[in-house]
Amino acid sequence: MKVFSNSETFNYSWEEVSTANWRKYCPWNQKSTHVVAVDTVSRSVDPETGILRTERLITCKQTAPDWLKSLLGGCIDESQVFETSYVDPRSKTVTMVSANLTMSNLINVQETVVYRPLNDHQTSFEQSAQITALCGGWQRIKNRIEDTLVKRFHENAIKGKEGFEAVLAMSRRVFAEERERERMMLIQSQASNIRLAAVAA
Amino acid sequence: MSQSLAPECNEVKERYDTCFLKWYSEKYLRGMGTTDNNECAALFKEYNSCLKGALKQRGIDKLLDEAREDNRENDATLMGKKK
Repeated sequence: MKVFSNSETFNYSWEEVSTANWRKYCPWNQKSTHVVAVDTVSRSVDPETGILRTERLITCKQTAPDWLKSLLGGCIDESQVFETSYVDPRSKTVTMVSANLTMSNLINVQETVVYRPLNDHQTSFEQSAQITALCGGWQRIKNRIEDTLVKRFHENAIKGKEGFEAVLAMSRRVFAEERERERMMLIQSQASNIRLAAVAA
Repeated sequence: MSQSLAPECNEVKERYDTCFLKWYSEKYLRGMGTTDNNECAALFKEYNSCLKGALKQRGIDKLLDEAREDNRENDATLMGKKK
């Protein structure tokens, strides 16, 4: 088993990060192109705790090295990950746990990501993954499979951070524009109310 | 927004995702979204029925059930039910 871990700080509030996180893999993110689809399978709010639980299916397309393909039998370019996330609005925590659906009899990848506020303007991101090759045979081959996947995690993490920064920046801009638009509409309607009142008087 | 793995579900998925994001940022995070029966429920139902067919067709539905089963312990811990 190999372990990968990574932590980052985003200079955005937890509310902004947890909102933008839902569209981390949208066209604004031009770095994480290995994620080709994200589908929500189930979603519910626990009436007692207020925790929002979401199941998503994430479809990735990433070319595997040739030696790994020949070892595992070819068709591994497209794979699916099952992610369950828990948003706790009281403790302001987002926890996401993911496991690979594809090839799960040969490789086991368990990933946990936690977003927590550091203060009103900063949010921490903690990522850890356990990678275990289950296939029988030589330890040397298992090690090589695990090392390849750890390397992939590392590369995707760097791209993921860059891509998410772009999504955060765009989200902030779009929300600000939306608020401005609503403010202008409010001012306009107030102005017309005043005009109507003036005419009536 | 991101794509669906089933192109035929993209249109309804987009509408649902937009609805959800608005609900999440404007209601849920402000403590006003405690019920499941919200304004996005009908869209989710439509999206989900489209997706279910696509998952079944690709044989992913069974894998999902197994993964959900494997995740029970995380659920117990993270839903705050296990002290």
